[in-house]
Formats: sequence, structure tokens, C-alpha cells
Amino acid sequence: MPRTPALRSLASEKALPYWLILPTIAYVAVFFLVPVVQALLLAFRTQDGQWTTRFLVRMVQDIQFVSALRFTLLLLAIIVPLQLVTALFIALLVNTRFRGSRTFLYICAIPLGISDLAAGLIWFSLFTQHGYINSFLYGLGIIERPIFFLSAQNTGWVLGSIVLAEHWRATAIVLVILVAGLQMISRDYLEAAEVFGARSWQRLWHVTLPLLKPSLQSALIIRTILALQMFAVVVAMGGRMVPVLAGEAYYWYYLYRNTNVASAYALLLMVISALLAWGYLRFLRPREVRP
Amino acid sequence: MRYLSVLLLAGLVASAATVAAAPDLTFMSTQMRPITEAEWVRTVLLPPFTTETGVPVVFLGAEEPELTNRILAEFEAGRGSLDLVGDLHGNFLVYYGALKDLGAELAQLEALGDRTLAQSFVELGRIGDAQVYIPWMQATYVLVANKKALQYLPSWADPTTLTYDQLYLWAKKIYEATGEQKLGIPAGPRALLHRFLHGYLYPSFTGAQVKKFDSPAAVLMWEYLKDLWQYVTPSAPLLDSMDTALLSEEVWIAWDHTARVKTAVMERPDDFVVLPAPAGPKGRGVITVLAGLAIPQTAPDPASAYQLIEYLTRPSSQVAILEGVGFFPVVTEAAGAVPTGGLKVLADGVAVQSASPDLLVSIIPGGLGARGGEFNKVYLDSFTEIVIRGRPIKEVLAQQGALLDALFRETGAPTPVPDVYLP
Repeated sequence: MPRTPALRSLASEKALPYWLILPTIAYVAVFFLVPVVQALLLAFRTQDGQWTTRFLVRMVQDIQFVSALRFTLLLLAIIVPLQLVTALFIALLVNTRFRGSRTFLYICAIPLGISDLAAGLIWFSLFTQHGYINSFLYGLGIIERPIFFLSAQNTGWVLGSIVLAEHWRATAIVLVILVAGLQMISRDYLEAAEVFGARSWQRLWHVTLPLLKPSLQSALIIRTILALQMFAVVVAMGGRMVPVLAGEAYYWYYLYRNTNVASAYALLLMVISALLAWGYLRFLRPREVRP
Repeated sequence: MRYLSVLLLAGLVASAATVAAAPDLTFMSTQMRPITEAEWVRTVLLPPFTTETGVPVVFLGAEEPELTNRILAEFEAGRGSLDLVGDLHGNFLVYYGALKDLGAELAQLEALGDRTLAQSFVELGRIGDAQVYIPWMQATYVLVANKKALQYLPSWADPTTLTYDQLYLWAKKIYEATGEQKLGIPAGPRALLHRFLHGYLYPSFTGAQVKKFDSPAAVLMWEYLKDLWQYVTPSAPLLDSMDTALLSEEVWIAWDHTARVKTAVMERPDDFVVLPAPAGPKGRGVITVLAGLAIPQTAPDPASAYQLIEYLTRPSSQVAILEGVGFFPVVTEAAGAVPTGGLKVLADGVAVQSASPDLLVSIIPGGLGARGGEFNKVYLDSFTEIVIRGRPIKEVLAQQGALLDALFRETGAPTPVPDVYLP
């Protein structure tokens, strides 16, 4: 059978890469793009196909909305910088390649393998009325009766516990990215700086950190987006006391059975994530070095 | 005229044919639908009935819309295959027009003399002018108290006729004596706190679940709850059910659904008493999840259906249902027939509650469809704002009350019990 030119170009070598990425594109389209579009439509369309902003208005006017937004941004603002600093510190430590640094890195990365709900429950069992911390303090005779760390009277304690749990659970992902980034930095730069008499903190500030910017950028983007989705730990430790946006989306979907408002929340989370990611890309752009 | 009689004749022949082809009694129910429960009904509950009467029963579990649609369709068609229907009160309200008046059957049952159907439930089954269903079984929410708490109860208070003021004093006294907040009200993310608010506190203080949401009596109720909350365990916002808190003795007095305190009472029946929920100024507000039995107007064999109702409301069957699937009896005699142990402690408590003279039964509002969740949210959000965050009561009630009104307006849901009885 004679081949038509169209068929021949489809089979040509130029087309090969497109064939190879086709499964990925199909996968992304079916399992990612289509649901995203559907979620968008859900937020703006009633069941009978009318376009409306009713669900967005319902979300914004909801009594929990402002608290949820506030708590989400507050947790984000505390947790992400804290994790970045900790992870950077540990990464630099690991990068000194001290004896046992590999084992140390593996130990630090253990929480990566634990599901967030499990992590929430672990910390819950530490802080609860008859939890490990109270039992320990009671055993030492420091307290006479249990302290309620997780109660509505102590929102500060609740927030603190959530921050601690998240810090323990999710710093490892930042750490792993930064360690990889540090290992990619060629020793030549540092040696050159040393030759020119740079002290160790000057080397860190003027050489290591600027070269680490791409890794910092990825770590920040990933961690920020994950922090926006944070939910299981908050629910386990804060219940209804600390509402967050992702939790509200979940409640609207499962408890209040209103998929439209739930989609509105999901949409809001997507917009915030996109804005923050854009911010990181814009302001942490590695500067081109001009001669 | 002749045309009509031919049709009638055809109908008779057709229904006779159905009866001949399927002599079994068809019993469709939205309750006991999970496979294990349905299996229990088929293999344990119903066989003695068949042995006794010679009537085989086909038990069909159905989802709520399936059952409703089928009954309405059979009613419109003028002939049907369902003989007996088991459903919740709220659902009967949708299709009661298609059901047979069971007034005569009720009198017949009561004349047997071996069972006393709880009167408030019988009255709920009277919809319009007809006795639409016969009460079958119930689930509810009760107070469970550790016996250690009883010594702190004010001496002039009777635990079986507790009021909300006495509950407050009781919890307060325990706090003053032990330094711990020992009252448990579940307020976790998956808790049933909303039921406590709309079905217990609201009716007890305002006489209604919905109608008096934003009223002076409601303001008093929220002030009471804020006061009471000082003695509620601080971890309440994290507790979804009271089982574990009762067993660990973190709480001594707890309100929750019978299914959510059952483990504790079953495990240590000697340590707990089950008490009726407290009463407020307007009565003893209590939610009853009430299931009833009804016979469609188009039932092929109403006489056998009545026999099955008679069988299912016998004290012994009521006890079997409690032991098998955990629904509580609606027949007073059944409570005395529960053997021993935790189940008896629970059943006694529920029986005392059902028989309280000041009982004010609430039925969880039906007809809200998919938006039932938003109904719950109104109450839960009010709680969070008023009790947890300390926002002004009137402001919150005005805001949330508007949402509640809109919800009933937009869905056209019927006014729930007991609100309908208000002038």
C-alpha cells in the first residue's frame, strides 16, 4: 500500500518525540486538566447549567471564611520560613560531610514516609490530656493535673502544636531538595572564594546561597503549595477550633454536600498557590552574572 | 360504564395473577439495608414468622429514593407488589397519601394487651386524618453517667427527670470537688453536636427546632450553653464520640447517640447509668429517629402484612431487633425483656426517656434533600462563633437565622416536628 505524505510525516523521526510524550499528555489531560476544568465549572455553574457567582459569594460570606483564610495564611507565614531555615541549617550541616552525615540525613528524612494524618495522630497522642507529654510531666511531679494543650481556651497552644507537628512532618521535603542543590554546587567556586580571602559566612552569603537559589525556589514553591493544602494535621489537632481553607473545602464536600461551594474553595486555593508560585519565580530569579 | 368494568375485571385478573405467581409477602425497608443487617433479617428475624404463619417473606433493602419512587409509582398505577414498608418518619411525610389507614389495625394490636406502644410515637404516625404507620423501632441520644458522678448530683435532683439547670449545677459541683471538667458533649469534626443543638437544646428552651432560631428564648439558651461550657471537658472540640472519653474517665457525664456510647456501656455495664436527656423550660427535647411500618393502599396481601406488623412489634421481636441491629424498642414491655448487661442498661435508659411525661419529640428535618448538611452547618457555625469565639449572640443568630430561612424557603422543606405544633 503506497504511503501518503501525511502518514509518512507521522512516522518520521521528527514526530517521534511527540509520540513518546503522547501518553503523558493524555494522562495529564484525562486525570488533571479535565478535573480542573470540571472543578472550575462547578464553582461557577448551577446544576441546570446557569452561570452564577452565587457559590463564590456564599463562600466569601460564610461565617468560617475569614477565620479559615486568616489561619491558613498565618500558618503558612509561620511554617514555611521556619522550615526553610531549619532545612537550610541541616542541609549545610550534612554538606560538611561529617562522619555519619549520611545516616543523619536518612534519619532526618524519615517523616517523609509518614502520612500526614498519621503524623497528626502521633502528635495528637503527645499533646492530648492523657498523652505522653502530660504523663511525662506528671511522672516527674512537675504538674498536678493534666494540661489541656489542645483546647478552645488555648488557641495559641493549639496553633503552636500544629506548627510543631507540621515542622516535624514536612521539613524533610525541603531538606532533601536543598541537600541535592548543595551537592550540585561545584567546589571550585568555594575554593576560589577562599583564595580571595572570603570568610566562611561570606562564602555562604555570597557564593553558596546565590548558587542555591534555583533549589530554594523549587523547595519554596513545593512547600508553600503543600502548606496551603495542609489539612489532616490541623483537623487531628485543632478540630473545629482552627479552620483552614483546605479543611473548609473538605467539609463543604463531605459534610455539607455542596460540591459547588467546595469547588469555590478549591479554586481559591489554586489562585493563591498560583500567585505565590509566580511571586517566587519572579523575585527569586537567579540573576544573570554580567562580566 | 361497561368499559370501566372490563378494566376493573382486567385489573382483578392481573392482580390475582400476581398473587398466584408470587404468594410471598414483600417487605421493603430503608432500614437494615446494609448487607449484614439484611442478612440477619432474612436468616434470624423473619424465619420464625414464616414457621408460625406459613407466609414466606421477601425482605428487600432499598435506598430512600428507590422506595419512595416505587410506592408512588405503584399508587399511580393502581396496583402494586409491595405488602409492607419500613421507613423513617420523615420519609413517610413524602408519600403518606399512598398508604393505607391503619387505625383499625392499631386498635387490634393494642387490644392484644401484651404491648404498649409509646403514645408519643403513635401520635407521630397519625398524619392527616389517618394512622399512616405503626411505630416499629427507634434510635436516640441519651445521657450516660459514670456512677462516680452520682454522689455530686444535688440531693434534691432526680437523675431520671434531670433539668438543664440541674445538669449545670451537677457539672459545676464535680468541677469544684475534683478540679476537672467532667462533662462531655461531642464537638469534634465528625461529632453529632448539631443534633444536640437543634434537637435537644433548642426545643427544650424554645419549643422548636427551627421556628424560634433567632428569638429571646434562643438567646437565653445560648447564654446557658456558654455557662455550661465552662464545665465541659476542654478537649470536647476534638471528640467525635463519647465512648473512649467515658471509658478513660476523662468525662463522667456524656451526651451522645446511643450507638456512640454503646461500646462504653457494653464494656463496663456496672459502672454506668443511662439517663434521659435533661429538660428545659419548654419540655424534654429529644430527637427520635423513628422507624415505622406501613401498608401501601395497593398491597396485594394486607392481611398477612398486618400479621407481620403484629410479629415485629411483639416485645420478643423488639428485643431481638435491639440485640441484632441496635435499634431500640418502641414497646414499653420490651425494655423489661432485655436480658442483662450493657444492652439492658441502655434499653432501660431509652425506655425511661421515651416514657417521660414532659417528652418533646423532635424529628430530624426531612425534605432538605442534598442540603441537609447545610442545615447542620447553621447550628455548628453558630456554636463555633458564640461559644468558642465569643461573638455576640444576637449578631450571630441574625446572620445564621437568615441562612436557615433561606434554606427552608429554597428547598420548600416542611416545617419539622415539634415546630408544626406551635401557634
